[in-house]
Amino acid sequence: MGLSVKDRGEAVATLRHVHVELMEMLAQWTPSAPEMEVKLLFGEHIWNVAQHADALGKRAHELRLPPQHSLPPVEPYAKLLAQVRAERDTARRLAAFYDALLPGLAKRYRDYLARTDALMDAPTVRILEQMLDIESRMVAQSKTLRSEIPALAKAERAWVDALVEQERRVGNLVATAGS
Amino acid sequence: MHSSSRSAGSGTWSPPPGAEVLAPLDPSLFAPGPERDARFDVKERWVDCANFPDGHPKQVVEFLHRQMNEEIDSLESSARNLCDFPAADWEVRMCLARQCYDEARHSQMFRNLFEKRGGTVGEYPVLNFQYRIITRFANLAARLAIQNRSFEAGGLDAITAGIQQTRADGDEELCALYEAQIADEISHVRFANEWIRKLSQADPRNLLAIGQAMKAASLAFAQVMGREGTEGVSYPADREGRLEAGFTPEEVAFTASLMAEKR
Ligand SMILES: [Fe+2]
Ligand SMILES: [Fe+2]
Repeated sequence: MGLSVKDRGEAVATLRHVHVELMEMLAQWTPSAPEMEVKLLFGEHIWNVAQHADALGKRAHELRLPPQHSLPPVEPYAKLLAQVRAERDTARRLAAFYDALLPGLAKRYRDYLARTDALMDAPTVRILEQMLDIESRMVAQSKTLRSEIPALAKAERAWVDALVEQERRVGNLVATAGS
Repeated sequence: MHSSSRSAGSGTWSPPPGAEVLAPLDPSLFAPGPERDARFDVKERWVDCANFPDGHPKQVVEFLHRQMNEEIDSLESSARNLCDFPAADWEVRMCLARQCYDEARHSQMFRNLFEKRGGTVGEYPVLNFQYRIITRFANLAARLAIQNRSFEAGGLDAITAGIQQTRADGDEELCALYEAQIADEISHVRFANEWIRKLSQADPRNLLAIGQAMKAASLAFAQVMGREGTEGVSYPADREGRLEAGFTPEEVAFTASLMAEKR
């Protein structure tokens, strides 16, 4: 059985919540990251994730939830977001955001796209496809920056791998799933 | 750009020998500054910057560098508004997020032109007074009043003067930059005007917060700029830009008369 309207609304509202948190994370890091080039990258990406949160919030309303409705994700993912947000080192911040969080989300969008009905849920499909495109571009921009400024690429591999694994283990982000 | 950011007077890199020793900034008027990387030499006062006289071969390039940093301050202040006021209306948060992107682009635009003209990032001292004055206040309406409706609205006047000057000088690149920048800045002032009105209607205590903040901000600004940084620096009000930015005709007329008096 595919996703119901309720399932879709909850998934979309949860992703909205996550994107608002991503926006706040980048915003918090902008004055506290010393490197000018990183600040400017964050400035652009704050707008990208805000637009994604906005599109998801409008879609949540179309799926019979209040306008711009957000649902907090499951506890382990909320903890992961808080843990990443508390990072002080710029190289670690970049690795956590662009090597763990965004690729992990991309996998979840693909999973949703595989499960939903492409016609009945076409507006969500369109939003997620656009997000996949833009967020993969954000990852590419961060890689280019890190190749131009090698000091920004010095996050320990084992630490990043552990974070990627922590993200993967969370599973479904929707807190109400199965309840 | 705010109205006093263009080089004025005839300063040098540091105060000339025998110059008046200034009292330290009043710490109660300023929040801690934002982070800068090792390339930057951050100063606290206008007199400590490289203030080349009009016509000096380095005047424009130093201005581009200073402006590149001021746009970062504006980005950082808008970013702080996003994380400091999570309960603000989503609509104003979207405006702030967009402002972050615009200010980041402005900074890059100034950097590109600065480097094209032979400059190196960190070559001249910079000031972070905007961020330190704005983020001193824990009220969104007050921050919008200082950052967008004061610093940036003053910037509209300065950029319009800059457009006329660069056009007269035949500096087409800088003129094009200013024209792109002022279109964005008008949007920033406009959403601030709109949201200051909405926030003040929703809670009149915001008006009081704005009044108190503006008073403290102008004291702080005077300490940073000193007499040297503001004397002789004034532009006619950009009436058209200010109207587009959501000021009422009465507000524009009042500003224009104040500025005419100053000139
Ligand atoms: Fe700007
Ligand atoms: Fe602006």
